[in-house]
Amino acid sequence: MFWHYIDLSWRSFKRTPMVTVLMVLAIAAGIGITMTSLSVYHMMAMDPMPHKSSQLFHPQLNARDDGDDWWTEDNLPHQMTYKDAMNLYRADIPRLKAPSMRTGFSVNLNSPDVKPFIESVRMTSRSFFSMFEFSFIHGAPWSQGQEESAAMVTVISRSMSETLFGQSDSVGENVYFDDNVFQIVGVYEDFDYHVKFYDLTNGAFNRAENAMIPITLIPPLKAQTWGNTNGWKFEEINSYQDMLNSEQAWLQFWVQLDTTEEEKEYREFLTNYLIEQESLGRFEREEVHFALRNLTQWMTYNRVVTEDNRILVSASFMFLTVCLANILGLLLGKFLRRVPEVGVRRALGANKRQVFLQHLVEVGLLGFIGGIIGIGIAQLGLWGVRATYSYYSAIATMDISMLLAAPAIAIGACVIAGIYPAWLVCRTNPAICLKTQ
Amino acid sequence: MLSMKNISKVYQTEKVQTHALRDFTLEVSEGEFIAVTGPSGSGKTTFLNIAGMLESFTSGDFILDGVNVGQLNDNQRADLRNQKIGFIFQGFNLIPDLNLFENVEVPLRYRGIKSAERKRRIMECLEQVGLASRAKHLPQQLSGGQQQRVAIARALAGEPRFLLADEPTGNLDSLMARQVMELLEEINRNGSTIVMVTHDPELARRAPRNIQVVDGQIADFTLYQHGGASVPRKSNTVAAVNPMSVEV
Repeated sequence: MFWHYIDLSWRSFKRTPMVTVLMVLAIAAGIGITMTSLSVYHMMAMDPMPHKSSQLFHPQLNARDDGDDWWTEDNLPHQMTYKDAMNLYRADIPRLKAPSMRTGFSVNLNSPDVKPFIESVRMTSRSFFSMFEFSFIHGAPWSQGQEESAAMVTVISRSMSETLFGQSDSVGENVYFDDNVFQIVGVYEDFDYHVKFYDLTNGAFNRAENAMIPITLIPPLKAQTWGNTNGWKFEEINSYQDMLNSEQAWLQFWVQLDTTEEEKEYREFLTNYLIEQESLGRFEREEVHFALRNLTQWMTYNRVVTEDNRILVSASFMFLTVCLANILGLLLGKFLRRVPEVGVRRALGANKRQVFLQHLVEVGLLGFIGGIIGIGIAQLGLWGVRATYSYYSAIATMDISMLLAAPAIAIGACVIAGIYPAWLVCRTNPAICLKTQ
Repeated sequence: MLSMKNISKVYQTEKVQTHALRDFTLEVSEGEFIAVTGPSGSGKTTFLNIAGMLESFTSGDFILDGVNVGQLNDNQRADLRNQKIGFIFQGFNLIPDLNLFENVEVPLRYRGIKSAERKRRIMECLEQVGLASRAKHLPQQLSGGQQQRVAIARALAGEPRFLLADEPTGNLDSLMARQVMELLEEINRNGSTIVMVTHDPELARRAPRNIQVVDGQIADFTLYQHGGASVPRKSNTVAAVNPMSVEV
């Protein structure tokens, strides 16, 4: 009967084309607006590494005196001081850990063929690549030895390799970062995540860096952060070494903890580390204070999805509700005009359930068509977002789940709007329906 | 086959109670052709609607083909109606968007009959009413008489035990009315039981049994033999002319 109901629905649409067009446009507009905001929200809130996000942790250390407040909700700094980051980096546990910092250089090949350009570069450890699953298409990350010896090596993205050398394989080539020559040891596939989750302090939706160099090059290069620096006390900083020794927080730090035992062990380690640092006179606290959040907790803590986004999604659903109210009115009029035909069908043996289903299939089909057109409107809306705010270009898009959700939401919404009119029609006494013929 | 005992139907509004049928008692045997006559508002259509289970009744017993209709819920009544009863309406009531084939198909779809069997039955019925060649036409492309023949084909398609016809010739000219009546007589000769409501005394006389309904009750019934010659008329209990509506 389903396909028969579809056939009847199609005939019904053709019988009242203007009303049908109005209803389809109403649902398409509602779905278009809703899916635009919902898609952005979905991409923002989506777990970027669902298979691994519970194993990647971002420690936060409260290495400062009691009474001094950070601006965060739990009084913990988002970033780490250089000495804490390097101490944790050189610790025995865990196996995979990655201090990192965003810096930047003028990139050139010392050749007139390629115009120099400014590019942000991440300084990190080789563990970073396996922790965040960077995929190498040529070469590999630098070696442990190269990292320890602060070798002038780099890995770059495919797009940078193609920009510089016109091909993806540039392993063995040299590239200048400012005046320093770096040898390319690996080329990785462009970072394809919509959220730059490994460094939320520099804008969650900013473009990922196209080149990485060892973290151990910070002192020799006297690298400056291209991100935020936060401190909690007055310090005289007259040299780069003063900066490295200071209580200024400007590095991010990640660890991979595969089991709950590892997590527990690392929490104990951090407790002991802070007790030890306090004993060295860095700060005075009554209680040790730190946090160890996994990737999704870290995204929530950093409000990757802002309150504004939630309000926008709510408002768009309200708009959809208004569209549905209009559709409900149109459906009432359309279905009640059909009462005589329903009377005939009832007299010929249709029961209430069959009449009800026939009408629900009709509104479902209406929702499906509206949903498909709504996807087109949503694409237009997302294009508008991308064109207006380049910052959101990575997330103003519809993934497959949103493409499937659009018609599903449209059908569901139309069915909800159609329940009352369909119920009204199916409960009409067939004898009275026939009298109206 | 159809047995109504003391059926009453009361329409109740806030101020007025209207007795559409009162103590209506009727037995219909298999293969009968009964004409129901009576003045407007006498309760003929209410009787037909109750017989077709389109309306419920207030009190009494109604047995249709061994099934106690009073004990059925709405869905069960719809199923029984689909299986046992075919309707023919004064206004034809064909669905304008559907062609003749699809119109005749409607009751068969609700019965869940397979496509091939549906097609066989539809073409057979359209053949019977002489419209098989116009199966793809829409109702509005046909004359009134032809539309009524399609409605008869639709009523026959489900092979019902009963055909209930409400003024089947009411919207037709005399020639077409005669053709439709001949068709109904042929269907009756083939074994179908027909109950027909009509205003036309001439048409009513062609039915072997006539029932006259007055004020919601059977006032008279007459038996005819071979289309016109009446046998002694039996008087039923005729109530004094009662007002149909009483103040409550």
